[in-house]
Amino acid sequence: MPGAASVRNVPAMNVLWASAAVLGAIVVATAVGLIWRARVGRIRTARGGAPGAELVRVAAVHGGLGDHATLLQFSTEFCAPCRSTARVLAELSERREGVAHVEVDLTDRADLARRLGILQTPTTFVLDPAGRSRARIGGAPRLGELVALLDSLEADRVAA
Amino acid sequence: MSQLDPVTRGIDPRSPRFGAGVTAVLLLVDVFLGVAGVHGIALILLAALAVLFGWGAFAGIRRHPYGAIFRALIRPRLQPPTELEDPTPPTFAQGIGLVITGIGALVGLFVPVVVPIAAGLAFVAAFLNSVFGYCLGCQIYLALVRAGLIRRRAATV
Repeated sequence: MPGAASVRNVPAMNVLWASAAVLGAIVVATAVGLIWRARVGRIRTARGGAPGAELVRVAAVHGGLGDHATLLQFSTEFCAPCRSTARVLAELSERREGVAHVEVDLTDRADLARRLGILQTPTTFVLDPAGRSRARIGGAPRLGELVALLDSLEADRVAA
Repeated sequence: MSQLDPVTRGIDPRSPRFGAGVTAVLLLVDVFLGVAGVHGIALILLAALAVLFGWGAFAGIRRHPYGAIFRALIRPRLQPPTELEDPTPPTFAQGIGLVITGIGALVGLFVPVVVPIAAGLAFVAAFLNSVFGYCLGCQIYLALVRAGLIRRRAATV
């Protein structure tokens, strides 16, 4: 078989290069994965985000703002983490009074994705009762950080 | 509350990640062969992987042979899944794999150096999916939506 013969006749130098390529691919992929994992789901707090009015309109159309906070989640249907995120956020809004969960499918709203600069799904905005964007979360949210943020929003509201 | 109806019954989410792991290893073998200069075998392997991606993309992820291997050999050794997953996203991801490896194999017929490059790109995607649970298909789908290439119906809001 000519194929088997050609494998045996590969020069040692080529094997060296090939091993380096394989190692390089593993290193690059691992580095990308570690960077992604360090960032995904982190809560980025915002002070009175500019797209607030747009977000309020979207939330209003899809069910309205919550009394304490609104979790406005943007998804697409070809997105596995969007499904699990929707489950987690819906559960959270059921458990906490005054917290609403609103999910919007961007497949119908490419214009929104562009205006809000959404580059990944799920992307979740946390709106306060006035409809200001208080945080933005790219990827499946870290539940502990999200709960802490909701606690602080609620404390603000009680203090006010 | 599950939105999975009987027609699109959920799959074990570990099954596509297992499949991506097998694919990643085979793609790495392909990178090795391509760079080592064993062009013929590298091309055949990449074409075979493209066929497997096509199988998953067109027949659906649940009919993919890796899924059968997972159910027969791996699943019995694991705890039952904590949740089931919609098969649509991993099926879409198979289509992306088909595009990358398919173009790589076709162009590789004439330009052999393209074979390990395509295999390397597909490897990174499969590796990230398998090891980190990263969903490249999600990003690409959204990019297609933003570019206006995917649209279901006119915006109403």
